[in-house]
Amino acid sequence: MNFVTGYCRLNEDFCAVNGEVISRRHIDSEDSWFKQIYKEQEFVYPKFYKMDLLSQAGFLGAELIKRGNLRVASSYPDDEIAMIFANGSSSTDTDIRFLRSYEGNSSPSPSLFVYTLPNIVLGEIAILNKWYGENMFAILPNFEPGFFINYLNITKAGGSKAALCGWLEILEGKVDVFLFFVEENEETGTPLNAENLTSLFNQKPSIN
Amino acid sequence: MDILKEDLKRQIIEQLNLEDITPEDISDDNLLFNEEGLNLDSIDALELIVLLEKYHGIQVTNPDEGKVAFRSINSMAEYIRKRKS
Repeated sequence: MNFVTGYCRLNEDFCAVNGEVISRRHIDSEDSWFKQIYKEQEFVYPKFYKMDLLSQAGFLGAELIKRGNLRVASSYPDDEIAMIFANGSSSTDTDIRFLRSYEGNSSPSPSLFVYTLPNIVLGEIAILNKWYGENMFAILPNFEPGFFINYLNITKAGGSKAALCGWLEILEGKVDVFLFFVEENEETGTPLNAENLTSLFNQKPSIN
Repeated sequence: MDILKEDLKRQIIEQLNLEDITPEDISDDNLLFNEEGLNLDSIDALELIVLLEKYHGIQVTNPDEGKVAFRSINSMAEYIRKRKS
């Protein structure tokens, strides 16, 4: 049986890990919201600054889940952690930024261009963690627990023992991100089923 | 102080989003693509080409020229001066 053993929720106003708010957006800050979290949590990964918002969200979610669950980084060989991500708007947010980067006779930005695919975030997380397991990024109308549950079974059949899953919806200022880590037989977690996933997705986090 | 080199450092930081780095951190002879230098990658190389066109009106059309020009701040400045002379 599969269990959710860590999760991170991120929207326009707060970032929560395992149900507890760890960061709130400061409206008057000069830094972007994701940069505020990066600095507050004292991450050191300069490549973060070059990433698009989708990859920044994936980086933050994955790293924060790892901090809350040390097994993520230490208990699995590099090919046993799968990644299963989805969203509704693909890379549209970055596509728009890329389009704007060469309006008015400016040169297109190569560093933005490389992020004009949604699955680049998977590559960023895989490179950072040296995870070489199965991965996929689906475009779906809404957060759909059944998709993750079904695809987890497929990756499990292929030899994966754990998976980082994520709903990463980012478009023109709207942020709706939910990352969760799934492991087999770790009964300290929440049993993985559609009802529990929906409940974690909609959970109102507590303030620590 | 060489104004062109100082400008280049600021432009590189802005164009490449090197937010943790200040112009003072970049010495004129740092190898830009070396781990002991700025550790830039292939996408950064494309951004340097954009930078030269955007700020200095120079188009790099010969890849071999870029390879030499982008070694360091010194070589970039030298390349710009040569192209403008």
